[in-house]
Amino acid sequence: MNKTVVMVVEDDLPIMNLIVTTLKTHEYKYLTANNGQNAIMQVSSYNPDIILLDLGLPDIDGIEVIKQIRTWSNTPIIVISARSEDSDKIEALDCGADDYLTKPFSVEELLARLRVTQRRLSFMQSQISASDSVFVNGKLKVDYAAGCAYLDGEELHLTPTEFKLLCVMCQNIGKVLTHKFIADKVWGNSWENNIGSLRVFVTTLRKKLEALPESPQYIQTHIGVGYRMMKVE
Amino acid sequence: MNPKNYEEKNEHILVCLSSAPSNQKIIKTAAKMTEAFNAAFTAIYVETPDFSMSTESDKNRLRENMKFARKLGANIETVCGDDTAYQIAEFARLSGITKIVIGKSAVLKRHFIRKPTLIEQLIEHAPNVEIHIIPDSAKITAYKPKHNPLRDISFSVYDLIISVSFLIVATLIGYLFSKLGFTEANIITVYILAVLLISILTKHRIYSLISSIVSIILFNFFFTVPHFTLRAYSSGYPATFAIMFISAFISSTLAIKLKSQAKQSAQAAFRTKILFDTNQLLQKADSKEAIIDETANQLIKLLGRSIVIYPVENNVLTEPVIYNVDENKPLDMDLITSEKNIAKWVLEHNHHAGASTKNFSNAKEMYLSVRVNDNVYGVVGIDISGKPLDTFENSVMLSILGECGLTLENNKNAREKEEAAILAKNEQLRSNLLRSISHDLRTPLTSISGNADNLLSNGDAFSDKEKKQIYKDIYDDSMWLINLVENLLSITRIEDKQARLKFSSEVIDEIINEALNHIYKRNTNHHINFCSSDEIILVNVDVRLIVQVIINIVDNAIKYTPDGSEIIISTKRKDNMLYVSIADNGTGIPDEEKEKVFDMFYAGATKIADSRRSIGLGLALCKSIISAHGGEITLTDNKPHGTVFTFSLPIKEIDINE
Repeated sequence: MNKTVVMVVEDDLPIMNLIVTTLKTHEYKYLTANNGQNAIMQVSSYNPDIILLDLGLPDIDGIEVIKQIRTWSNTPIIVISARSEDSDKIEALDCGADDYLTKPFSVEELLARLRVTQRRLSFMQSQISASDSVFVNGKLKVDYAAGCAYLDGEELHLTPTEFKLLCVMCQNIGKVLTHKFIADKVWGNSWENNIGSLRVFVTTLRKKLEALPESPQYIQTHIGVGYRMMKVE
Repeated sequence: MNPKNYEEKNEHILVCLSSAPSNQKIIKTAAKMTEAFNAAFTAIYVETPDFSMSTESDKNRLRENMKFARKLGANIETVCGDDTAYQIAEFARLSGITKIVIGKSAVLKRHFIRKPTLIEQLIEHAPNVEIHIIPDSAKITAYKPKHNPLRDISFSVYDLIISVSFLIVATLIGYLFSKLGFTEANIITVYILAVLLISILTKHRIYSLISSIVSIILFNFFFTVPHFTLRAYSSGYPATFAIMFISAFISSTLAIKLKSQAKQSAQAAFRTKILFDTNQLLQKADSKEAIIDETANQLIKLLGRSIVIYPVENNVLTEPVIYNVDENKPLDMDLITSEKNIAKWVLEHNHHAGASTKNFSNAKEMYLSVRVNDNVYGVVGIDISGKPLDTFENSVMLSILGECGLTLENNKNAREKEEAAILAKNEQLRSNLLRSISHDLRTPLTSISGNADNLLSNGDAFSDKEKKQIYKDIYDDSMWLINLVENLLSITRIEDKQARLKFSSEVIDEIINEALNHIYKRNTNHHINFCSSDEIILVNVDVRLIVQVIINIVDNAIKYTPDGSEIIISTKRKDNMLYVSIADNGTGIPDEEKEKVFDMFYAGATKIADSRRSIGLGLALCKSIISAHGGEITLTDNKPHGTVFTFSLPIKEIDINE
């Protein structure tokens, strides 16, 4: 029995039906809202585990909803956007959304995103009890304090920038991080050249980290948007 | 007057203003004609160099006449030049005048030796324009502008020396002749010759007039009996003197006439040549900038003065372009900035201003508008610096400016036409696209809605296997629609040119993997391999569009090759370009179709392997996307069979920041 409560914020009825049907068949509990105000109210009163939020709402802009919810809650938000423009997604992610789905999306995709977020939630809960200075994800182990990373028990030889990059990604596991966000964390700015460098470092890091760099297990690429560290069992 | 009116009205009447009292009557008649023909109405005044000499009452009368013409709805124009007929004709040609109304008083200008009248000159200069002559029925005496006839005698030492020395030489020769015993007639001829030469070589006829008198006195003094006195004994001498004077005077007058005609024809030839050159150069110039450049060059050649041109865009002055005669002595920028308001005034009033004119006469430059009718295309500033233009320069300059205005207008019209043509072509393309899309949308939509309808009304009747097939069909058709929509979105982005392309530096391997992710989701039995290179290559691209290019090419390969074919994607670096090749081992594309595959709405004639429909958008789009990125897309044969699509993208070099 799945106990996760998903809040669906969507004004288009067929899409709402599609999502709700999918959630029902996969035994999620759900709440629904068809406008922004209603969504904010319900989030504050029922405190759902995950929020699926459509950006084009009739009353207030989805970005605004994210900003308001983020003032008091860290509930993961998955943004659903009909706009294929990357800038909307990036803005939503930079405002605190965790992941995104672009219409048209497949049911499989929706479920995959929910699972990723769930895993992240349970991981975060387990992290609270564990020591903060060591991060473990599958075969990857990062010791923040010692400044070392291990894969399958063997130390990885990373350059300082690669290590910094790895730390930023591990600290935000499960979240889609925008290029700008990562560059800001690693270099302290997001100048054009650093964003270009970022692509190179992710590629080199991947070569050291992934068994098959062309189908990565740990670092997922979101083309035009950013990267995400996946939770590996 | 509203410029639109010019287009609506076929007739354009021009009335000539003068300071004559009868002029008002002519203006009135012209105004009546304007009304009758529903024509545009313009009044012109030709400001000759004599204008400043005319009396105050003449000037007042002219002002009155101008005011009167304006009251009757005329557009007042003033042009400068000494050749009134030429100026009027030139103005008529440039402004599209159809009828000229002119008073009789202007006809009555006759001189000692009959010059062609203004009317005759006008007919000669402007043969295509109707000329209406209004007779003076009122008893106003033939009017002649008055001015001081001695106005331009300027004392010249050079001319005086010439006159004196010729007379001395003539006297010496005469003395020689008389010593040799020649008759007096020979001596008289020598004096007449001297006067003739003086009249040719000096600038004013006063010298030849005085010379003829002096020569008689000299003849009388030296060669008539009694010698060295001013008395003459013979009774025939007064007649000799009179005839001598008359023949000297006539020959000098003829010589002067000849001289001035030679000068005029030389000027006319020069004017014709420079205008012809200007015309040729302006015809060749194909942009607004080039036209202005050529005009400025011609003006500099003609005037030898520095020039400032303000092109006018939408009735606003734009940044001035400066043309210096001497690079070492450029025009003062501060001066130009400080006189910009004069140029603005010229634009607003469509009237010349600045140095050597009535308005802002203390400025260093003279400003004129480049225009056709009321449309001003630019304002030209000419460096006067205390030396006003002579009338000839002025008139040629006005013709050049008129020519420039006409060319600019033609250029503008041609540009507008071209833009309209492009717009029409885009419109055509869009409507083709729309037609083809709406047609092709029907098929998958019919399949989706029909299948869904079946499931709704009698879903229970189907077996599980049948249901699965129906679900799969719905899914496939909607995926096809999604792909089409993605392509359409890409087209709209490409059509808006660079504006909406979002360039970012991306690793090519990531782009290809992303594209393959989209393709792997579809069920195919094709083997797709990506051989990535070890080098990390960054390209500066709009990543969505490049992903779309790869998807389209690979999709195309899947669509047109038999099941189980192999598709290999590889990248290669050459200089600063990256080449991405997508090769299949299908049947290949025949040579005659190769050129057409990138055309819009071209779908191959060969049987499509999976009988999927195609609307021939994909590859056309690929081509526009790749060219928008500054690359090229080519199509070659694969060995032993199949096709290779290769596209290139510029590589982005970055400094890696550790």
